[in-house]
Parts: sequence; structure tokens; C-alpha cells
Amino acid sequence: MIALLIRLYPARWRARYGDEFGALLGERPLSPFDAADLLLGAVDAHLHLRGLGAYSEHQKGFPMSLRLGGYAAIVGGVLWFAGLVLLQFGSVAAPGPLMVLLGTVLPLMVLLGTVLLLVGLIGLSSFQARRYPRLTWAAFAVPAIGAVVSMVGQVGMVTTGDEPFVGDLSGWYLWMFGSLALVIGSGLFAIATWRVRTLSRRAAALLGSGCLAVLPAVAFASGGPEQIAHVLLGASLLGFAAGWVALGVSAVRTHQAVAPTLEGAAS
Amino acid sequence: MDTPLPELGRFAEPALLILVSLSDGPKHGYAIMADVEQGTGRPLGPGTLYGALARLEERGFIEALPPEDRRRPYRLTALGVRTASEQLRELSAFAELGLRRLGGIVR
Repeated sequence: MIALLIRLYPARWRARYGDEFGALLGERPLSPFDAADLLLGAVDAHLHLRGLGAYSEHQKGFPMSLRLGGYAAIVGGVLWFAGLVLLQFGSVAAPGPLMVLLGTVLPLMVLLGTVLLLVGLIGLSSFQARRYPRLTWAAFAVPAIGAVVSMVGQVGMVTTGDEPFVGDLSGWYLWMFGSLALVIGSGLFAIATWRVRTLSRRAAALLGSGCLAVLPAVAFASGGPEQIAHVLLGASLLGFAAGWVALGVSAVRTHQAVAPTLEGAAS
Repeated sequence: MDTPLPELGRFAEPALLILVSLSDGPKHGYAIMADVEQGTGRPLGPGTLYGALARLEERGFIEALPPEDRRRPYRLTALGVRTASEQLRELSAFAELGLRRLGGIVR
């Protein structure tokens, strides 16, 4: 993986820095944050060697920074939860044409929320990854795979409805498994965040509790009374989304607390 | 000064951290990264580190020494020492101003 990431850099750059860069990357396990940082570094190196460095140099804020990760977690959490709730209740109650429109827009809203949560996870994972690289990678890989499965499931829901789409599984089941993967991965991330203590532990606890509550709520929803199941599921999903939002707020606050001094001195 | 750090845009902050890290002697990339992380409590990604290192070397603030094994140490040049000193003095004056103003609010 290290060799592959280094190959993304321009040949001229590799000729000068490739060997020592490879040695540096071999010193410790790569985290999702490092991988994202390397991808952006490769883009920057291409721009810089083509005389376009000013473009990347003067962009304020690193895209994978704590701040961007924080905002992604906040917006992602809200979109994901709002999309799911509206999908469950709003689209059913809507009149015909609006129901079709919502049926298309709302799954996309949930998907966008999922992608933003993954961006948030990368942006907020730099501290956790230093101490728990495997846990942090798992926290990224599980929901990332889940997002792909969800997307396939959504295609299945649109094209084949309730009919089997992949093997015996309908699109809805695929989507459901993908969403559960997002919840499980977020739970792992909450554990790593709780142990590292860099971001708010209360937010990590909220996210972890939300994740823990979702699994029994889903199980209950498949066999219990419908109304109670809806309340339980809604509450657990709200806890999950609120946990992500709280972590995002905590990250933005942390960024605001540590960033201005050096930036102020440099300007 | 011909090429002040602020021209480095988003690399200005990592650049200053690297200059400070090299102020007590030459270091290779991993040692700089570990030193910055230990000193500031904030992670420095490898892509950001080398983006800043390349710019600092290009502008003559640091220079590469012969490699040891595969690791290449870097050290400050005279220009790098002057630049780091000036930036830190500005930072110190800025911090002092901020604390003085806050002194009127926080007692």
C-alpha cells in the first residue's frame, strides 16, 4: 500500500524524496488520516511541480483537518438522520408525485449523509489513529464497505423493488446491512475516541450509546409491536446522529482553541 | 526578508513547526514528525510534512544532509534561523498582546 501511495506522486518528486519518504512511511502503521493526507500531498506535489502550487498553498484550511472533519460530521449526522426519518414517515404520507420525488431524493440524502460521516471520520481520526491504528482502520473500513453496500441496495430498491437483487437479498436488505455497518464502524470509532480523550468524551459516549442502542432496536423492530419499535428505533438513531453532531461540534471547538495563534503570527 | 513564511499559505504553520523542530539540531522526517506531535499534541501528516519540507528546502530555509541509511536529515540554514527567529518574535508579540487584552476581561 505504501508503494502504491508513493507512486501517486510525480516521478520528479519521487526521484528526490521517494526513498526517504518510503522510509518515513515504514516507521509506523498508516492511519486513514495519513492515507488521506498522502493523497492530498500527491495532488499538491503535482500542482506544485507544474507551477500551480499557489492554488493549493493559498487554500485556507486543510481539507482533512479537524475543522472540516467536524463540519462534515455535523452536516452528515443531520442529513443522515433527517433523511432516514423522512424516508420512513414523510414519503409514506406524501401524495403520489411528491412521494415519488421523495423516494428518489431522500435515499440520496441518506447516502450523502453517509459519505459526509466517512469524511468526518477521516478528519477526526488523526489522534485516535496514532494510538489505535487497527481500531481506527476498522472504524473506517467497516462503514466504508457499508456505504458501498448501501448504494448497491439503493439501486436494487429503485430497480427491482422488493424482489431479490443480489442472491436472495432484496435491495432493502442490502441497504439495511450497509447502514448497520455504518453504525458498527461508528461504535468502534466512539471507543477509540473515548480512550484517546482528545475530543469530548461525552460526545464519544453519546455516539457509542446510540450505536449500542440501534442493534437491539433493529432486532425488536423485526418482531415487536410496530409503534414501540418505531419509538425505540427513532430514539436510538437520534442518539447515533446526535453523537456524530456532538463529536463534530467538539472538533470545531478544539480547532478554534488551538489554531489561531500560529495563523495570527503568520499573517 | 525576501521570502517570509506567510507566502507558504496553508504550509506556513507546518513550516514554522518544522523550523522550530530543527532549531536544536538536524533531524530526519520521522524525527521531525514525532517531535512536532510531542511538542504540540497535534498530528502532522506525512503528506503535509513533505509538502512543507520541499517548500522550505526550495526557499533555502533548510538544507538536506547526506542520507543515513534511507533516512535523510535536514538542518536549518542561516536564512532559516533568521526566519524562524523573526516569526517566533512576531508570535510572541502577538501572544503578549492577546494576553494583555484578555487580562482586562479574565481576572
